[in-house]
Amino acid sequence: MPHYMLILHEEPMDYSQMSPDEIEAVIREYIEWSQLIEAKGKYVGGQKLVDEGGRLLHGFGSDFRVTDGPYAEAKEVIGGFFTISAADYNEAVELSSDCPHLKYGGRVELREIQPTE
Amino acid sequence: MNETTHDLDETIGHLFRQHSGKMVAALCRSFGFERIGIVEDAVQDALIAAMKVWPYSGVPDNQLAWLLRTARNRCIDILRRDNRSTPLDAEPEFAADRSEVDAVYFPSEIAEDQLRMIFACCHPEISPDSRVALTLKAVGGFSVGEIATAFLSNPDAVSKLLSRARSRLRELNVRMEMPPPRELPLRLDSVLKAIYLMFNEGYSASTGGSFIRKDLVFEAIRLASLLAKHPVTASPMGDAVTALFCFQAARMTARSDHNGELLILAEQDRCSWDQQLIAHGLHHFRRSAAGESVSDYHLEAEIAAIYTLAPDYSSTDWARILSAYEKLQSRKFSPVIELNLAIVICQLRGPQAAYDRLVSIEHESAIRSYNLFYITKAHFESLLDLVSEARTSLERAASLTHNPPVEAFIQKRISELG
Repeated sequence: MPHYMLILHEEPMDYSQMSPDEIEAVIREYIEWSQLIEAKGKYVGGQKLVDEGGRLLHGFGSDFRVTDGPYAEAKEVIGGFFTISAADYNEAVELSSDCPHLKYGGRVELREIQPTE
Repeated sequence: MNETTHDLDETIGHLFRQHSGKMVAALCRSFGFERIGIVEDAVQDALIAAMKVWPYSGVPDNQLAWLLRTARNRCIDILRRDNRSTPLDAEPEFAADRSEVDAVYFPSEIAEDQLRMIFACCHPEISPDSRVALTLKAVGGFSVGEIATAFLSNPDAVSKLLSRARSRLRELNVRMEMPPPRELPLRLDSVLKAIYLMFNEGYSASTGGSFIRKDLVFEAIRLASLLAKHPVTASPMGDAVTALFCFQAARMTARSDHNGELLILAEQDRCSWDQQLIAHGLHHFRRSAAGESVSDYHLEAEIAAIYTLAPDYSSTDWARILSAYEKLQSRKFSPVIELNLAIVICQLRGPQAAYDRLVSIEHESAIRSYNLFYITKAHFESLLDLVSEARTSLERAASLTHNPPVEAFIQKRISELG
């Protein structure tokens, strides 16, 4: 079955005023969402990208340079990604449509992973 | 941790709030109570880190250990950033501290840390309001916004209250420790006053119906139980407070029906009272009898016990309640107690005697803005067929509340007058 990647885009926000209770509720929603997909046998995995310290590489050879990640000025960053399995885009969209990320104002980019064989 | 505590934790829920309080206490013990501001920031950062990572990685087996490790590293980062000139690693207190980690595995350590924290936050030199706010924040894991909601205040005012209280505690060089035996009675009194205030703030239905108020009630019960259980801080007075809270809280949800309409005691469904809380209350009520002196808390717990343990409204032991109220009244006169006395007198001696008693306190300023006074007065007046007087009293009561369920209750009583 094809694999699909959910790439989670989000705007960096200030969470300092969130209460522990609210934070707990957000975590619970994500976990419940992924557990539901897991129960259907469609959950492959998920990984968080570290928010700080990204690097951007440009040029080649003598032109090669490294700059700090685009994060300081970027409006949106990629927070992380999930991988699910689905028969086709229709099913992948359906499985992703209630991802809590959407509820909290993030965008989800859904891409099919090219099979290697 | 015995079974009752465990059940109580389950009932309370709000795991992150509890984690937050445990971490603040454990880290303040390592880094110093004077650094509580930094510790609270680091704990918040750790919770946010969990919110960012756990959705992807899953919840770790030992949540508290994960959070505590993250918060501790964050603390060190903040201190390094703020104070580059002092090499922190040189200070022994920052060397890898096993005791915090141990605290995660030993509930008795957690309880002990939290008690030390309660005593620091409820220092008698700061106002009772500040004690409650500090305790809710540091021990209970409530946010500034939640404290503001509970106290019908705004977040800025709460932040100011907290920071003033913290700097006062710094001036006094208050440490996180169990008070020495000589100071214990005074310090315990100060703590119990604050917890009592926390409970009443949550329990009083007259000032708003937010869910956060119920959380305040259960936090007060949790803290009172913590004090009542520890060998150093256990006292008959602490048991009386815990019993009082449990008996009251057991009846909390029965105070309104499924439409949110208020129910008076006679109308409440006793089956919906929380039997687990009543049992917990009884346990502490029995233990509260161990001492030689009787406190106000004992009398209030006794009254709550009689109300709660009566099999039905009509078999309530009004004579015993009257006697407890009279003892309470002779210790500290309060118009609110007088109002309660009048209600009991109505049961024992009829509405005329109750009405006369009530009218005698109408001049008290504390009563003139109290809607329950006028609701009670109207009740006696309608029993005495003083219909137009009853209507006037109810209208007065209505003008004194902005709480929709209370307003609805009053309107219903007005329409019943015909």
